[in-house]
Amino acid sequence: MNALAPLPADTSVAAIDKSRVKLDVQNLDFFYGKNHALKGVSIPFAAKTVTALIGPSGCGKSTLLRALNRMYALYPGQKATGKIMFDGEDILRRGIDLSMLRAKIGMVFQKPTPFPMSIHDNVAFGVRLYETLGKADMAIRVEEALRRAALWDEVKDKLHTSGLGLSGGQQQRLCVARCIAVKPEILLLDEPTSALDPISSAKLEETVTQLKSDYTIIIVTHNLGQAARLSAYTGFMYLGELVEFGETEGMFTKPVTTRASDYITGRFG
Amino acid sequence: MAVSTRRIAARKLSNLAFVGFCLLVTAIALTALALILYSLVSQGLGGLNLDIFTKDTPAAGTPGGLLNAIIGSVLMAGLGMVIAVVIGILAGTWLAEYAGESRYGVVVRFLNDVLLSAPSILVGLFVYEILVHPFGSFSGYAGAVALALLAAPVITRTTEDVLKLQPIALRESGVALGTPVWTVIRTILWRGSTSGLLTGALLAFARISGETAPLLFTALNNQFRSFDMSKPMASLPVAIYQDALTPYNDLNRLAWTGALIIAASVLTITIAARFLSKEPRRS
Repeated sequence: MNALAPLPADTSVAAIDKSRVKLDVQNLDFFYGKNHALKGVSIPFAAKTVTALIGPSGCGKSTLLRALNRMYALYPGQKATGKIMFDGEDILRRGIDLSMLRAKIGMVFQKPTPFPMSIHDNVAFGVRLYETLGKADMAIRVEEALRRAALWDEVKDKLHTSGLGLSGGQQQRLCVARCIAVKPEILLLDEPTSALDPISSAKLEETVTQLKSDYTIIIVTHNLGQAARLSAYTGFMYLGELVEFGETEGMFTKPVTTRASDYITGRFG
Repeated sequence: MAVSTRRIAARKLSNLAFVGFCLLVTAIALTALALILYSLVSQGLGGLNLDIFTKDTPAAGTPGGLLNAIIGSVLMAGLGMVIAVVIGILAGTWLAEYAGESRYGVVVRFLNDVLLSAPSILVGLFVYEILVHPFGSFSGYAGAVALALLAAPVITRTTEDVLKLQPIALRESGVALGTPVWTVIRTILWRGSTSGLLTGALLAFARISGETAPLLFTALNNQFRSFDMSKPMASLPVAIYQDALTPYNDLNRLAWTGALIIAASVLTITIAARFLSKEPRRS
């Protein structure tokens, strides 16, 4: 479906069936002050699917991700123009409830960031913001989230010890658990394994694989193998533009654009 | 490449000289501290008895204790710390989380640094002008406000510093869960910096617990036991100051004992707080 343009095409963005699109970025420009970091990016993210964003450092992958939950709104001087449609609503619109938006669109960061509290409270933290659950119901919710993040067996006997006492890989899965406990619809993963050792990375990948049938997952990664293993769709970005977007298999075996082809074959990056 | 043994020898020598110098300077500082503690204990311990904690400051030649001064110090330092902790933590949080490099933020930060090193006697005079003179009476409240003005800049500064040490990713991950920024600060950042915030409060407490000058102009002194903070109030530093200046041996001894009590209480509170705020260890 992405072999429409002959090589060497400049850019190539495959279309996805409208009914499957959960989050639709349309003509997004992003500015850090005067620095124009994203240029007219349009990319669809399919529901209950993993989409990977790849590209060299500084290409705008993380910037795009941080626009999707409006994390940038914390910083004056950063602004986005264009549209990001989420279930038919433009989330860049003024006056949108950012807390509610972020509860629906969870995010896991490059470095694990457990809160300075017990493992149980880390997971319960986000839930308590929106729901009043009894102790038993909360315990069930926490267990469910930890199971889904593939961490339960390792922490079930020490739920009330500090989250800071876990290993880096466990901390990162705790962050995933904390995120899904709030029952978001979308998960944004910003290079979630780049600070982890290979074994912890593999475990986190397993976690993502288990989650992908229920969540719309968008993962930024520098690891091309990871993108190939996890995602159904991949977007390749370069210098603030979306150069190529399509099914992962097609992109990794027969990229349409020269730039994507050069990056994937290791000619630069 | 040939290794120059002369160079290595010279470097070893300069390294040795520098480490030696550091040790020497540390030893000088520690010796001074040890001497101070020694004279405090040797001169103060002898006067320590039950009377100190049960009787008020006496006239020369009569038996007495420091109870009125201890009560005054606890009340004024306590109220002062409450005021300073509230102002200092909020101001420090504002500087760290909201002010950024805005003009107002920069000015507030600069003024706070000026206040941090303001002579305490000036703070005493200032409070005299705004609280003692208009109301026509020295009071424990005025003393507490003067102490708070000395403690607040210390707490503001340390609060800003320890909050800035918290990783940006921690703030963002709180916000990413849909938490309002203010809730992130209260429930995550403050909790993560508890030991730092406590250290700031302790530094401030240590700074004000021995202050005499600001109290002379505000709380003055009181020969009698009083819990009424709207009246003049005794305090340990002022009692020490006055008793030490008298030519009477028994009052001089009382001053030493008072100094020992201040030093011991600051030490005890510091150790206790350190113990309570221990960071969780990696299992």
